[in-house]
Amino acid sequence: MNSEAVPRPIIEARAIGKRFGAFHALRDVSATFHEGQVTAIVGPSGSGKSTFLRTLNRLEAHDSGEIVIDGIVLSDDIKNLNAIRREVGMVFQSFNLFSHLTILRNLTLAPMRVRRMARAAAEEKAMNLLERVGLKTQASKYPVQLSGGQQQRVAIARALAMDPKVLLFDEPTSALDPEMVNEVLAVMRELAYSGITMLVVTHEMGFAREVADRVIFFDEGVILEDTTPESFFSNPGHERAKAFLSQVRHGF
Amino acid sequence: MNWTRQHPGWAMFAAMIGLLLFLWGMALPLAAAPSPIGPAAEQFADGARITVGLTLIAGSAGVLIGVLAGLGKLSRFWPLRWLCDSYVWLIRGTPLLLQILFVWLALPTIMPEGVELSDFACAAIALSLNVGAYNTECVRAGILAVPHGQVEAARALGLTPLQTFMDVILPQSMRVALPALANNLASLVKDSSLAYAISVVELTMVGYRVQAESYQPIPVFVTIAAIYLILTTAFTTLTAALEAQLDVGQKR
Ligand SMILES: Nc1ncnc2c1ncn2[C@@H]1O[C@H](COP(=O)(O)OP(=O)(O)O)[C@@H](O)[C@H]1O
Ligand SMILES: [Mg+2]
Repeated sequence: MNSEAVPRPIIEARAIGKRFGAFHALRDVSATFHEGQVTAIVGPSGSGKSTFLRTLNRLEAHDSGEIVIDGIVLSDDIKNLNAIRREVGMVFQSFNLFSHLTILRNLTLAPMRVRRMARAAAEEKAMNLLERVGLKTQASKYPVQLSGGQQQRVAIARALAMDPKVLLFDEPTSALDPEMVNEVLAVMRELAYSGITMLVVTHEMGFAREVADRVIFFDEGVILEDTTPESFFSNPGHERAKAFLSQVRHGF
Repeated sequence: MNWTRQHPGWAMFAAMIGLLLFLWGMALPLAAAPSPIGPAAEQFADGARITVGLTLIAGSAGVLIGVLAGLGKLSRFWPLRWLCDSYVWLIRGTPLLLQILFVWLALPTIMPEGVELSDFACAAIALSLNVGAYNTECVRAGILAVPHGQVEAARALGLTPLQTFMDVILPQSMRVALPALANNLASLVKDSSLAYAISVVELTMVGYRVQAESYQPIPVFVTIAAIYLILTTAFTTLTAALEAQLDVGQKR
C-alpha cells in the first residue's frame, strides 16, 4: 500500500552506533522509513531490535550517527526531544499503562498535559479511540481489572491519543497469553491500513508477512536484510536469516 | 477500619469534621467535669489546638521536605545527594529535644536583625525538619518502588520530567509510602509534646501546669491521655482513608 505516490521520509537513521559498556549493541545501523510504511523488525533475541527502536524516541541515547525525525535532528536538546516525542508514539511489550489512573485518564493525560487539550475534548477523543479498539465500556476501570489483551489495546489507544505520525511497537504481543494475541493483532492490522507509519518489532511472522510493507532482519547489532516480506520469507539472502526463519517456523 | 476502606471519602470527611468539632467543642463538656478538670477546660482546649496546629503544620511541611529530600537522595547530582544524605543522617542521629533547643536558642543568633521567631514557630520548624528526615526515607523507598516502565511510558508520550514526576511517579510512590508516612504523622502528634521544653503551651504542658496547681496528677493526666488518644485516632482514621483512596487500581 502507499507505494504509488513518492512517500516522504519520516525517520532517517544514519550510521547509528550504541554501546552498553563494552558490549556493542548497534553497529552503524542505517535505515530510512517513509510515511505510511509498515515495517516489521525481526531477528534473534539480543540482536538490538529494542535498542534500535528505543533510540528513535531517545529512551536510549545513541553514541554515534544521526537520527532525523520529520526534519528534526534527535539530540539532548529538550525542545527538539519534546517535539519528537509528541510525534512518535510507543507501545511496549509490558503495556506500561499508568496503574493509578483509570483507562480514560490513561488516554487523556498526555493530550491534556502535552497538547494542552481541554478535558472535555480530550475525553471525547479518548472515548472515540476506545470505541475503535473495542473497549468503550471499560473506560472507568483501572488497568489491573483488564486482561492483557485489553490492556495492550488500551496502550495502543493511549499512543494514538497524541496523534503521532509514527508508532513504534516493541514486541506488543510477546507478553500475552496465546488466546489474546489475535485481538491485538487485529487492532494493529486496522491501524496499518489506516496509513499511519509503523515500526513493529515482532515474532509474529504471519503478521509480518501479511501486513508489513517491509521486513528488516537484525543480527548482532546490524541490519542483515532489508527487503520486502515476499522476498524475506521465500528467499532470505543470509544463512543467519534462514536459520532464524527455520527456528521460528519449527518452534523452539 | 473496614468501613474506612469501603468509604474512604466519607471517612476522611468524618475524621476532619470530628477533629474540628472536638477542638472547638471540647471546652463545653470538660467545663462540666468536676475540679480539677472543669475549671481548666479552656486551658485544655487551647493546649489541644496548639498540639493539633503543630502537628498539621509540621506534618505538611514534613511531607514537602520528605518529597524534596527523597528526590534529592536519588539525584544524579552528587552534591545534592550528599546534602540530603547528611540531613537525614544528622536528624536521625540526634535527639529531637536537642533539635528543638537548637532551633530555639541557636537559630535566633544567626537570623538577620529584625526577624523574630515565636516559640511556636521554632517548635514548628524543628518538628518539620525532624519528621521531614524520617519522611525522606519513606518517600525514597516509594519512588524506587515505581516500575521503570511507568516512567518510560510517560516520557514516550512527551510528558516533561516534571510532569512525569507530578502525574505518574509521585502519586504511585505515595501509595507505597503512605503507611509509613501515616506512622510518622501519628508519632508527630505525640512528639509535639517536646515543644513544652521551649515554653510552647501545648497539651502536655497544660497538663503539667494544671496538676501543679491542683496537686491532682491522676485525673489531669488521664484527661490529657484521653485527648491524645482521640487526636491520634482521628489522624489514623484520616490517613487510613487516604491510603484506601490511593489504593484504587492496585492489585490486592
Ligand atoms: N540498558 C542496557 N544495559 C546493558 N545492556 C543492555 C541494555 N539494554 C540492552 N542491552 C543489551 O543489548 C543487547 C541488545 O538488546 P535488545 O536491543 O533488547 O535486543 P532485542 O530487542 O533484539 O532482543 C542485548 O545483549 C542486551 O543484553
Ligand atoms: Mg527486545
